[in-house]
Amino acid sequence: MDFGLTDEHELLLDSLRELLERECSESYIAELDRTHQAPMSFRRALHEAGFASLGFPEEYGGTPCDAVTLMLLTERVAQQGLNNGYGIELLQAMDILEFGSEDQKAEILGLLATGDVPFALGFTEPGAGSDNSAITTTAVHHDGMVTFNGTKTLITNALDAKYLLVMAKSSDRGDDSRNAISMYLVPMDAPGVSTNPLEKIVWYTNDSCEIFLDDVTVPDACLVGVKGNGFRQLMRNLDLERLVIAATCLGLAQCAFDDAATYATQRVQFGKPIGSFQLIQLKLTDMAIKLENMRNFVYKTSWMVDQGIPLRSQGALCKRYVAMAAFEVADEAMQIFGGIGVNAQTRVSRLWRDLRGHRFGGGTDEIMVHIAGRQILREHR
Amino acid sequence: MTIVVAYKWAPNPQDAAVRSEGTVDFTRAKSTISEYDPVAFELARRVADSTGAQVVGVTVGDASIDTSLARKAALSRGLDRLVIVADDRLVGADSTRLAAVLATVVRRIGDVDLVLAGESSVDVTEGQVAMTLAGQLGWLGLNAVSSVSASDGGYAVERDVPSGTVSMVVTGPAVLATTADAVLPRVPGMKDILGAAKKPVEVLSLDALDVPSAQVTLTTLSTSRPAAGNRQRVIIDGSDPTAAAAELVGALRAAKVL
Amino acid sequence: MNASSQTWIVVADDPAVSGLVVAARILSAEVTAVVAGRRATAESVVAAGVDRVLWLGEPAEGTPVEAYAPDVARTVAAGAPGAVLGSSEGAGRVMLGAIAALLQAPGLSGVTALERDGNQIGVTRSVFGGIAERRDLVTGGTAVIALAGGEISDPTGLAVPVEEVTANALTTGRLTGLRPKEKAPVNLRAARTVVAVGRGLKAKDDLALITDLADAIGGELACSRPLAEGVHWIAKDRNIGISGQQIAPELYVAIGISGQLQHMVGVRDADVIVAVNSDKDALIFKQCDYGIVGDLYTVVPALTAALAAKP
Repeated sequence: MDFGLTDEHELLLDSLRELLERECSESYIAELDRTHQAPMSFRRALHEAGFASLGFPEEYGGTPCDAVTLMLLTERVAQQGLNNGYGIELLQAMDILEFGSEDQKAEILGLLATGDVPFALGFTEPGAGSDNSAITTTAVHHDGMVTFNGTKTLITNALDAKYLLVMAKSSDRGDDSRNAISMYLVPMDAPGVSTNPLEKIVWYTNDSCEIFLDDVTVPDACLVGVKGNGFRQLMRNLDLERLVIAATCLGLAQCAFDDAATYATQRVQFGKPIGSFQLIQLKLTDMAIKLENMRNFVYKTSWMVDQGIPLRSQGALCKRYVAMAAFEVADEAMQIFGGIGVNAQTRVSRLWRDLRGHRFGGGTDEIMVHIAGRQILREHR
Repeated sequence: MTIVVAYKWAPNPQDAAVRSEGTVDFTRAKSTISEYDPVAFELARRVADSTGAQVVGVTVGDASIDTSLARKAALSRGLDRLVIVADDRLVGADSTRLAAVLATVVRRIGDVDLVLAGESSVDVTEGQVAMTLAGQLGWLGLNAVSSVSASDGGYAVERDVPSGTVSMVVTGPAVLATTADAVLPRVPGMKDILGAAKKPVEVLSLDALDVPSAQVTLTTLSTSRPAAGNRQRVIIDGSDPTAAAAELVGALRAAKVL
Repeated sequence: MNASSQTWIVVADDPAVSGLVVAARILSAEVTAVVAGRRATAESVVAAGVDRVLWLGEPAEGTPVEAYAPDVARTVAAGAPGAVLGSSEGAGRVMLGAIAALLQAPGLSGVTALERDGNQIGVTRSVFGGIAERRDLVTGGTAVIALAGGEISDPTGLAVPVEEVTANALTTGRLTGLRPKEKAPVNLRAARTVVAVGRGLKAKDDLALITDLADAIGGELACSRPLAEGVHWIAKDRNIGISGQQIAPELYVAIGISGQLQHMVGVRDADVIVAVNSDKDALIFKQCDYGIVGDLYTVVPALTAALAAKP
């Protein structure tokens, strides 16, 4: 077993550290958070340095990249204190590179290059959250066109995105949702698309919207991949997406831990630094244990992906554990900061808010039980 | 033609420990491409891309500078190939000794018309090796170089001097030491880092090089920690800024600094 | 090579040599100067009070002074002095490099003290960016030493002839122009009080806070490296540290500067160091005389106000 980093990992992390120093300072992140803006300039810098196309096929300007490396980078960006700063868009774009038409690929790659968010994932609906088979948005094919009707909600990055990757029931595919759902790339500025930003208390650097599709009619070239295969296409990278979320949680939790541990050495009460009290040391110790567990979970799961070992329940177990443990670490960090922690100007308050969102983003803690539980029983039948 | 980047794989003294008797322990400081050298790599690559020259990295030092990480770190910064002299007879070598070895390597490479180097090394921080290398080669040496580009029959060079920016044309071989901010070096991406492992590396033995021997040497009589660490360290809590400011200004006035 | 007990200085067309002359006199009674550059420079060096001036002749139009480095080195080698001193800045380093290479002698910089020990030269230097000091004896030949050049000296009244030496300058470089800086270069070394700001400043617009304080305290504005070379908020000639200026003001106020070694080396000789930083653990609090742990955005205006109030 080798827990060491390769030369390539070290060099890549060095490059990323340099980029983060130049382009993603805490004051930059805090300003984005305050003004509810996306990290456009940082994304552009990531792209220019080749980080935004890692794992893409070489013919699309990408470089081969294993899961361990992707997760190390995702963790490092999050450790800077930036939520959802790396990984997700890249994986989503990979879906298009895998299943999209040449025109769709060119369009998405071009948008990535300029630091734009190519598309938002239009999956969740008011009546279809964890139960994704309950999708009711319809796609009616006619005369070379498709007409969409339906409502999506809690759609991340909808305001910044140029397209919506709509999951909708194709009219001619029957009722079984597994075979009826198709994937479509619909321009956000198409007539009939309207958005309603939702005011939320987490993830200020990502907007979340309701999206209404009212007789949105676009050429049927917007279909991504095979009609009726939308669900399977979406599932293709889902384990990796869960891993990216876990790696993000790990990095954010590490950041909160470092802030809290430093604060514990500085804050003086009763004549000594609060870190000298064992109640604080107990917190820090348990937080450190959780971080170690999270890190091992994320790295080992990534390693399994790279070895081609089927993940079965591993991806869901990892997402559930890390999202929950990371929030616990941030929560204890808040506790160590005491009243200062809830001040909106502290980084720990932002990390605490952002980590809370990861307990349902990308699948709730409970859905992870649903996924893993069934798998565990299946393996013991 | 060939452009040489003379660089150093070095630890940052920020991470070194100074023992009480003044000797320096670098064992816990991680080595990297020396802080100011990426500027030289970047300038070399840009010039070479416009002229079709190749860029060869050259580094000399003790045996610890030749690791696979050190090689890839350099090669991922736009070099075409790398030449290393790593020999423990160069432990603690002074600037003239390093320059003498570098000069023999540059001569051996042959068709070099430009050597670029950073402002100074991050560890020794003397800023002398590049200009001593120029002396060793008998070439024009220029420091504080803020810009280099190919021009008719040579290179257009700009230097950042106290009175302004001097522009020059260089028509023969030269050694240029850059300013720390001549360009913003690009960070190596995955492609560069993966590509680094495939680029040629030549390791030269110190014995195979005809390096002139040192005439003047140093005998260290003593080492010490700098004395200036003795400051008063009066720390004032600034949670009440007005009170803190008044306390500080009062103290400075009492000490007749104001 | 046997070195004599003489001390030489080398001058690269920069008449500010008072520091070199003073240091040279520590090592020997007689000082010889080798001057590359204009005759006017050679005459300034005469005025600075040296015993002999060897001048390499008027440079042809467009010839950079660095082109004389091989001539300077040959001239010095022929004289075989016990020590040769040159400026640690600009072309001075090029001259010293050529000398060091020709004599196969180490070029010594960061020098804090010089002494003559019989026939040998003792040199105390700060090494590794200033984290340690080392005293060495130079053996086997000439000590090649880089120092701050100093100022332009007032004429001493002594006059020695300028002796012209034949030179054969390199012809591979030609000066084509000089774009003067928009503002006259600031002389931080002469300032009694310097107020410097670092990465703790969040936006360029906030510089007004710092300049207000500098005005109130009667000091010059300076900065740490990231502000001059990273974001370019402040001109590079105000950068303090290894990559910038080394200064010794009576009062140095460091605001939002963490106190990294590479910065602190530049102010080690300040009489009093004051720090303002929000991070109680910042390295600078171990290296200052007075420190305020607090947010610069509230502390600095309070300081400016406190200074305006009469004692």
